[in-house]
Amino acid sequence: MTPALLAHGIGGVRDLPVPEWMFSWGAAAVLVLSFLALGTLWRSPLLAARAPGRPLPGPFSRLLLGRTLRLAAQAVSAALLVLVFATALAGEPDPAANLAPTFVWVVFWLGLVPVTVLLGDAWRVLNPWRAAADLAVFLLERGGREARPVLAYPERLGRWPAAGALFCFAAFELAYREPSSPRALALAIALYSYVTWTGMAVYGREAWLRGGEAFSVYFGLLARISPLAVRDGKVVARLPLSGLAGPERTPGTLAFVAVMLGSVAFDGVSRSSSWVDLAARVEGPYVLERPGLAETLVTGLSLLGLVGGVGLVAGAYLTATAIARRTVNVAAPLADQFLLSLVPIALVYAVAHYFSLLVVQGQFALPLASDPFGRGWDLLGAADVQPNLNPLSPNTVWYVQVGALVGGHVAGLAVAHDRAITAFTERGPALRSQYAMLGLMVLYTVGGLWLLSRG
Amino acid sequence: MTMRVLVALLVTAATVGLAGCGGGGDAAPATTAAPAPVEIRISVAGGRPEGGIRRETVKQGERVALIVESDAAGLAHVHGYNHDLNLTPGVPARLEFVADVVGRFEVELHGDVEAQIADLSVIP
Repeated sequence: MTPALLAHGIGGVRDLPVPEWMFSWGAAAVLVLSFLALGTLWRSPLLAARAPGRPLPGPFSRLLLGRTLRLAAQAVSAALLVLVFATALAGEPDPAANLAPTFVWVVFWLGLVPVTVLLGDAWRVLNPWRAAADLAVFLLERGGREARPVLAYPERLGRWPAAGALFCFAAFELAYREPSSPRALALAIALYSYVTWTGMAVYGREAWLRGGEAFSVYFGLLARISPLAVRDGKVVARLPLSGLAGPERTPGTLAFVAVMLGSVAFDGVSRSSSWVDLAARVEGPYVLERPGLAETLVTGLSLLGLVGGVGLVAGAYLTATAIARRTVNVAAPLADQFLLSLVPIALVYAVAHYFSLLVVQGQFALPLASDPFGRGWDLLGAADVQPNLNPLSPNTVWYVQVGALVGGHVAGLAVAHDRAITAFTERGPALRSQYAMLGLMVLYTVGGLWLLSRG
Repeated sequence: MTMRVLVALLVTAATVGLAGCGGGGDAAPATTAAPAPVEIRISVAGGRPEGGIRRETVKQGERVALIVESDAAGLAHVHGYNHDLNLTPGVPARLEFVADVVGRFEVELHGDVEAQIADLSVIP
């Protein structure tokens, strides 16, 4: 076994860059669709009215939201957290022979994205930290004690703690040199569990899940795209994207969304030849005599790149909304108004960069689950399953990548457009506010396409 | 509709132009000389590949011979393919494999020094 240290989370097969001609066609499609959208999109608000959705038949709702299913899901998910922590802590240190890296970076982090977008906020039920907290509260209350928050969650903190946590998670994945090292993952899981349970104990479960628990905020935002949601104890079917109607005033949300988008963008940059060469030049002089210093320099460089990516995304958004405010001449800043239109873009950035990794590396989950500690076990009789490393042709990968970015662009424009005609009752200002937003979306999308086409 | 056609035409013109200018091959695929492997020779000195990280493109199904000569003992690892090459100082180490998986693959040194030495693209 080799001590293979897989950079960037996990996975050894990387996508070939999108060919130049496809980049050009994708970019052209983006421009054409954008101008078509300006002229042809609906004229009276659509999304907010559709957001409540239609309740599914009663028995369906009762089954999906019932106590039995919830308890079962929580038990399985809590058991998985224990198993993954144990394998990370005590299993084979080779990332390719240990369940933990593939589970954390692929099954959980990537696999839950399509589940959330298609089926709604499954993480609310699957969250193992919440499951453990629910159990703790249940036991406390059975013991006749009351479980109440120590402090009221300060409203001005909003989603800032979650944004900070997501940034740390992204830094661990993209700046730290051995994100797939099982031991490093064990430490990260321990730290995150400690912070999460402390946050819940101090501010209460719901308050911390809303503002501090990065994954709840992440999957919660993505779930707003989903055609399924829970309202008043019922499962409702609604127009996809309608959950993104309305302004978003919770502090820290822009920071959070900027980390979502900026970290994936930096992931793309950091795989390009120019970045790899830059990192090699920076560490070159020290790599033999002072490897510790060399590693610190590269990690620092990546952190700078990550901060730069997040800063660019946020800066571009703030600039665009400032320009929009000037073109329509309104007193109030517009930054809250269009924020949720970035959520579809963040989703498609993730799809474009990671879907092939999910398909390829996801296949390793089964053999690894059969031998989670890398000790030669075969619990599920699947330890010898040989994954297909080329399940998708490069053409398929490219079409999905470009298609996702273009589709996300249209979805973002639609959400921003709907917000504009809701916020501005007159058609003139509504349209004018969208010039800058359109420019911003073109920048994000063409930038995303460009990153995919870098070799 | 006419605008879409116009843009498509413009873009086609641009891409044809680009393809015309940018085509010149940096990759030198082993042409018709059938079973001879594509040789990739890399010298490693001071934990670095000489001349920078090597970028090579081969076609799927071609044989690749990776020859690494290093001034220090260690291990070269082809990611994705998970092939290893043991390095002995001063002795060129050779690894031959069929590039049957499409994608981009990092070749890295593992051991005292962790460094990428090559970036292999396998195209269909």
